[in-house]
Amino acid sequence: MKSYFGEYQNAQGTGAVESTVLIFDKNLSIGFRNADGSNAMISWLLKDVEVIHAFSSQGTKLTSSKHPGATLTIKGKEAGDFIKEMQAERQKPWHQKSSGKEWIRNGLLLLTLLGGLFLLYLLIVPWLSEKLATKISIKTEKQLGEAAYNAMGLAGQEDTASSYILNEFFQEMDVPTAYDIKITVVNDNMVNAFALPGGRIVVYSALLKEINSYPELAALLSHEFTHVNNKHSTKSIFRKLGSKVFLGLLFGRFGTVTSVVVDHADNLKSLKYSRKLEKEADIDGLALLAKRGIDPNGFEDLFTNLKTAAGGDAMPEFFGSHPDIDKRIAYVKEAGKTIVIKEDEKLKGIFEKLK
Amino acid sequence: MLVTTTSTVDGKQVQEYLGVINAQSIIGANIFKDIFAGLRDVFGGRSKTYEKVLEQAKEDALRELSEKAQALGANGILGVDLDFETIGSGGSMLMVIATGTAVRF
Repeated sequence: MKSYFGEYQNAQGTGAVESTVLIFDKNLSIGFRNADGSNAMISWLLKDVEVIHAFSSQGTKLTSSKHPGATLTIKGKEAGDFIKEMQAERQKPWHQKSSGKEWIRNGLLLLTLLGGLFLLYLLIVPWLSEKLATKISIKTEKQLGEAAYNAMGLAGQEDTASSYILNEFFQEMDVPTAYDIKITVVNDNMVNAFALPGGRIVVYSALLKEINSYPELAALLSHEFTHVNNKHSTKSIFRKLGSKVFLGLLFGRFGTVTSVVVDHADNLKSLKYSRKLEKEADIDGLALLAKRGIDPNGFEDLFTNLKTAAGGDAMPEFFGSHPDIDKRIAYVKEAGKTIVIKEDEKLKGIFEKLK
Repeated sequence: MLVTTTSTVDGKQVQEYLGVINAQSIIGANIFKDIFAGLRDVFGGRSKTYEKVLEQAKEDALRELSEKAQALGANGILGVDLDFETIGSGGSMLMVIATGTAVRF
């Protein structure tokens, strides 16, 4: 916008009045006072305006084809040049009304772009984060896991006697791994167990109470061990971090509404991923049992015990992000069909010490 | 229209004060600008995309202020003050408020 002072003469030719002139992109507005003192404003569309440079007065004379007879005179050349510039600007292709075809094309382009971003978020970012997670050294993972363990403040509630037996049990299972597996039993009435990056496995005492046989314990430990050995926690953390950074870049600092929507969607996505990892932990854990000839029914018994412990319908915390329990029983049963079972007296002996 | 931040203008006598006027322009950069600005935030440097949005908001506010002054029959605006604020969730929108006194010389 530019503003000028000018002299406006109406079509009746009743003397020129001093006026203020505001020139916008599409129109110009003339403001002046009538003889009776009242304010008046007139708007001319720039496309109707004709610019004439009056050499004699060194001014610019403007007329509008829609208001014949009326003239506006502005000192100097600048206002006229500005109007011409604006008129030329209006002729440029991006100011022309676009046809239906162009609308469709632009819409498709936008959709493709959004689709691309969505794909990036859904596939490429998680894949990249996971790749990055696999490159993390065991030492760093261990630091990460210990930091998480310390932050939870569980060290004070450790049941050292049970922890010792569980560690002994796991060592007897003789699982080959680069990780230094440390099992901790924590006194708590939550029916849960989890694995931290770098080799720490935490088992809550309430869950331990529900376990009735050594194949069940072997199933639990091999399941959690697979989480550690396959870097599941580290991968989860990296995926979460990756998508958070990506979403942060896209939406900036989240506002309240967007943050709720985005966070929920993101959580749902990671739940699905975590179910995939849980299944992997079940299957790989089962393979560990098979190697030792431990009864694969340990998994099935563990699942059913936990289900009854939770009281039928209600799922214990352990299953929050896990596959449906009946499905788990089904695929574990299927995979365990071929296993040759032999009673392991040593493991049984260690397990008896727990009871 | 004479628009100035000063309270007097050399060689001009105010004949009539027409009252305080203000105009605001609230403008949101679009999502793509936000992405580019977000990248700038990560890598550092001047964010031209946001600077352009700021410039646009200021222009719009001053333009509206001039229109209001003209409607009052003014030919000048004195003591113009520009305020810049971010509003909206997460401060994603920009608000420019222009205030001044419409006068007739």
